[in-house]
Amino acid sequence: MRNGITRRRFIGTTAAGVALVGTSLPRTSFGAEKTLKIGFLAPLTGEVAGWGLPGLNGLEIWADEINAGGGIQAGGDTYMVELVPYDDEYLADKALRGAKKLVLEDGVGLIMMLGGSDAPAAVDFFTKNKVVSSTLLPSDLTDETLYHMAPCEVHPIYNVTGVEWLAENRPELKTAAICAQDDELGRPSVATYLAAFEAAGIEVVYQEFFAIDTVDFAPVITSMLATKPDILCLDTAYPDFVNFLTEQAFLQGFDGQIISCTFDFYPAVIEKVGTEFVEGFVFQFPDFDDPALNEPHINFPNPNGFFTAYEERYPGTWSAVSWEYAAIAVQWKAAVEKAGSVDPMAVFEAMKAGGRAPHVFGDANWWGTELFGIDNALVGDWPVVQIQNGKAVIVEYKSIIDWWAKHKDLMIKHFEALGEMWYQRKA
Amino acid sequence: MLQMSSQTALKSLGGAAVVAVLCVLPFVIGLYRLDVLIFLLINIIVAVSYRFITLTGEWSLGHVVMMGVGGYASALLAKKLGLSVWLAMPLGGLATAALAFLLAFPLFRMKGFYFLIGSFAAGEAIRRTWNHFRDPFGGPGGLARIPTPELELPGVGLIDFGDPRIYYFLTLAVVLVSIVVFYRLEKSRIGLTLHAIHWQDSLAESVGINIWRYKTLAFCVASFFVGLAGALLGHHITVVNPPQFSLAIMLYVLVWVIVGGTRTIAGPIVGVTVLSIVDERLREFQEYRPLIYGAILILTMRFLPTGLEDLPAKLIGLGRRLRRIRTTQTGS
Amino acid sequence: MEVIAQTTVNALYASSYTALMAVGLALIFGVMGIINFAHGNLFMVGAYAVWWLYAVNGWPFFLAVAGAIMVVGAIGLLMERMLFRPMRDNPLGGLIMSVGVLFILEVLAVFFGLGLMKHVPPIYPGSVVIFGIPGATIPWQRLVVIGAAVLLLGTLWAFLRQTRLGWALRACAQDREAAALQGIPINKFALLAMGLGAALAGAAGGVMAPIVQVDPYIGHKMIVTAFIVIIVGGIGSLEGAVLAAILYAFFHTWVTTYIGGGIATTLGLVLMLVVLVVRPTGLLGTAERG
Repeated sequence: MRNGITRRRFIGTTAAGVALVGTSLPRTSFGAEKTLKIGFLAPLTGEVAGWGLPGLNGLEIWADEINAGGGIQAGGDTYMVELVPYDDEYLADKALRGAKKLVLEDGVGLIMMLGGSDAPAAVDFFTKNKVVSSTLLPSDLTDETLYHMAPCEVHPIYNVTGVEWLAENRPELKTAAICAQDDELGRPSVATYLAAFEAAGIEVVYQEFFAIDTVDFAPVITSMLATKPDILCLDTAYPDFVNFLTEQAFLQGFDGQIISCTFDFYPAVIEKVGTEFVEGFVFQFPDFDDPALNEPHINFPNPNGFFTAYEERYPGTWSAVSWEYAAIAVQWKAAVEKAGSVDPMAVFEAMKAGGRAPHVFGDANWWGTELFGIDNALVGDWPVVQIQNGKAVIVEYKSIIDWWAKHKDLMIKHFEALGEMWYQRKA
Repeated sequence: MLQMSSQTALKSLGGAAVVAVLCVLPFVIGLYRLDVLIFLLINIIVAVSYRFITLTGEWSLGHVVMMGVGGYASALLAKKLGLSVWLAMPLGGLATAALAFLLAFPLFRMKGFYFLIGSFAAGEAIRRTWNHFRDPFGGPGGLARIPTPELELPGVGLIDFGDPRIYYFLTLAVVLVSIVVFYRLEKSRIGLTLHAIHWQDSLAESVGINIWRYKTLAFCVASFFVGLAGALLGHHITVVNPPQFSLAIMLYVLVWVIVGGTRTIAGPIVGVTVLSIVDERLREFQEYRPLIYGAILILTMRFLPTGLEDLPAKLIGLGRRLRRIRTTQTGS
Repeated sequence: MEVIAQTTVNALYASSYTALMAVGLALIFGVMGIINFAHGNLFMVGAYAVWWLYAVNGWPFFLAVAGAIMVVGAIGLLMERMLFRPMRDNPLGGLIMSVGVLFILEVLAVFFGLGLMKHVPPIYPGSVVIFGIPGATIPWQRLVVIGAAVLLLGTLWAFLRQTRLGWALRACAQDREAAALQGIPINKFALLAMGLGAALAGAAGGVMAPIVQVDPYIGHKMIVTAFIVIIVGGIGSLEGAVLAAILYAFFHTWVTTYIGGGIATTLGLVLMLVVLVVRPTGLLGTAERG
C-alpha cells in the first residue's frame, strides 16, 4: 500500500508539473526506443475499486517484467510498454471521457476495461473509431461491438461450474437464496445462477436485489435467512459487499453452504468470522500460488512467481482481477509478436485467427454468438475454487461449453426473463 | 448618459469578440479539447440557470437532478417513442419545467434550510426512482445508446450532429439563447420583483405581490433550461444514468456559482469557465480534484465572498488605494 | 417471530448510529445556524482513525475510539474557529465552508488508503442470542454501538439539563440573538457545540468502523440519512432528532426486510417530504429558521 501511494503520487506530481507549466512535450522522447501504450480504463476508486486497482497492480508487475526483459519485438522494432490508467469511477460518462482521452490524446493501442455499468458509451465510441478493447464482462458485447472482446474472464457464465460442482459433491443441498446489488454485474450473474440452480435441481427460495448504497447488510441477510435456505448465493456482489454479507450470515447464525462468484480479501473476512465458518465456501477465483496452476495446459507464465511478486509489492490487495488484466496482456503480447505489427487491427485479427486461442485456463474457443451476439468471448474451462483450511484451493476445472451444450435453453430463458440477452440490452 | 452608451457599446463589442472566438475555436483545437469545450458550454447553462433560482433568495440542491429529468425525458422520447431528437430535446426541457411546477407546491412552502434540504430530498427521491425502476429508466446503468440528432437538409444532404464540431455549434446556440433569455428576464419587471422578494419578502407580500407565483416562475424557467442542458448532455454522450446527477455533482455546481459570484449573470459563467480550465490543467491530478475545489471554495468565501466576478473591481480599488497612499506620501 | 425479533434488533442498532449522527448535526445547527455538510465525512475520519490506531497500530479498541473522538473533535473546533466564525453574518457562508471541508477530507482519506476499503476486525467476534429466541441474535459489536449511543447521548442530555454550561448552550440553540443579548458569549458556545457535534460523529465512525465500509465515500451514505432525520425531527431540535432517528431507522429496516432494500431510502425520502408538507418545520421544530 505504501508503495502504491508513492508511485501514484510520483506520477501525479511530475505530470501535473508538466501540465502546469503548460508545455506539451512528448513524454516519451528518450532514445530511439518506441513505446506501445495500453490504456487502463476501470474504477480505481469507489465501491468497485476492488476490481480495478488490484488489476492495475498486476498489470504493472507484468509491464515491468516485459520492459526489464527488453520489451516487445514486432516487425523488427523493439517496443517498451507504457500503461496509461484512467479512473472511470465505474460511471458510463466518465468512461467515455476517459476513452476519448486515451484514444485521442494518448494514442493507446489497446484499452482494458472491467466492463459492465461503465461500458455502453465507451464501447460505442470504440466501435466507431476502430479501437481494440477488452472487457472482463462479455455481457457488454452485442453484434455491434466488433472490436470489444473478452479474452480472459467470461463473467458470469463460468458461475455454472461452481453450482454444478456443488450439486455433484453435496447432493443433499436442495434450496438456495440469492441476492445481489441491482446493476450490470449483479443481474446477468443472477440470471446465470438461476439457470445453474435449475439445471442442478436446486430450488431457489429467495431472490432479491439490494441498493448499491446499502450501509447495513443485516436486514438483507435477515430476510434471506427467513426462507431457511441450504445455500446462500451471494452472486456477483461487489467485493466489500460479499465480505459484509458473509459476516452477517455468520453473525445471524447461518450454518449452511455459501457460494459466490468472488471472495476477495477473504483473509480479512476470516479475521472476523474465523476459519471454521468459511470452510467450504465455493467461488471462482484462485490465488495464483495454487499448485493446480502449474499444470501444462495453463497459459500464464509462472503463476506462482507472479503471485509472490504481487504479494510482495501490494500486500493484502490480491483480488479476483489481480491476474486477469495481466493475463489479457500476455495474450495480447503474443498476438503482437505473431502479427509482427503493432497496428491494433492486425493484432486483434491475430488474436482471433482460427477461432481458437490460448486462454489462461487452457486453449479455448472464440464463442458467444447465441448469448452475446458476437463470438468475441474466449470460452473454455474455468476453475471451481473452495476455501479449505482458510486458503483458496482449486478443486476442479470444469467445462463451461459442456454445461452450455446440455442446458443452454435454461440460460437463455433466465437471461431473457431479466432482460439481459444481447438483443434486449441493445434495445 | 454618453458614458452609459459607450459602456454598452463596449460590452456588446466584447460579447461579439467572445462569440467570434468561440466560433473559430472548434477548427483550431483537437477533438478531445473540443469535447471538453462542449461540456463546458453545457455546464454554463447549468450554472446560469442555477443563479436564476438563487434570485428568489432560495438555494436549491435539486438542480442537477432537474438536469437529469431533461436528459431522461428527452432520451426516453427519442429512444422509446422514436420521436425526432429535435422535438425530444425541447420537450425534455418542458417536461422538466412541468415537474418543477409540481414540486413548487410543496417546496415553496419551505424557506431557508428547509427549502435547501427539501429540494435535495425531492431530487434524491427522483434520482432513486430512476435507479429503482428499470422499466423505463434503465435502472442503475441508466439509458444507453441514446440517438444523436440528425438533420436532412435539401441540397446539403444528411448532417450528422454526432460529429462533435456540429454538436458544438448546436450547444453554443442554446447557450447564447439561454443567456439572452435570463438576462432579459432579470432586467424585466419579473426580475425586479424577484430582487424585491429576495431582499424584503414580507414587504413585497404586503404590497400585494404573490411571492409563490414569482418564485415558481423563476424555478420553472430555470428548470426548463437546465432540462435542456440535460438533454444536450444525454444526446451528446449517448448515456444518462443516476450517478451523473448525484449530490456530489450538485456540490460542484454550487462551487462554480459561489466561486464565480451571483451578483451578475457573468459570475457563474466566469466561475464554471475558470474551474473547468483548472480541471483540465490538473487532469493528471484527477483524484485530487475535490481537494483543489475545496481549497478554492474556502479561499473564495474567505477573501472574495462576492466571487471572482468582483475580482477586477477589487483589484482596481486596491490599485487606487495604493496610488492614493503614494500621492499622500509624496505630497507630505 | 424470529424475523420480527431480528428486524427489531437490526432497527435498534440503526436507530443508535442514526441518532448519534443526527443529534450532532442538530446541535451544530441549533447553536450556529449552519448545516454541516461535512458531518458525514467527520464520521468517515472517525472510522479511519480507529482503523489506523486499532487495526494497524494495535491500540486497545476503546482507546482508539477515544483517539477518534479527539481527532474529529479537534477538526470540529478548527472548522468553527477558522471557517465558520468569519462567516457568522452570512447564513449560507457556513454551509459553503462545510462543503469545502467535505471535499478536502474526502481527498485526504483517498491519500491515506487509496481506493480500497479498510478492514477493521471487531473487538468481540460473534453474537448473542436475544429475547430467548434462537434465531434472533445481536453481534457484540452492534451492542457496543448501541451502548455507546445510549451512553453518549445520555451524557449529553444530562449535561444540557443539569449544568449551567448546558443550560446556556440550550439557550443559544433556542435563540441566538436573545442569548447574545443576555451576555452569553456566542463564539465560545459555537466552539463548544461544534466540538461536541463533531465528536459525536467521530464517536459514531469510531465504534462503527468494524461494521461499515471504511472507505472515503462512506460519508456520503451517512449524510443522506442524517439530513432526512434532522429535517423530520425539526432542524435544531435535539429531542426531535432522536425521535426521528428512531422512527426513520425502524421504517427503513422494516421496509428493507419485508419489501426490499432497493426502495427503502426512496420511500424514506417521500415520507420526509410528506411530513414537511404537513408540518413545514418538522415534527418538533418550532419556528422557521435560517
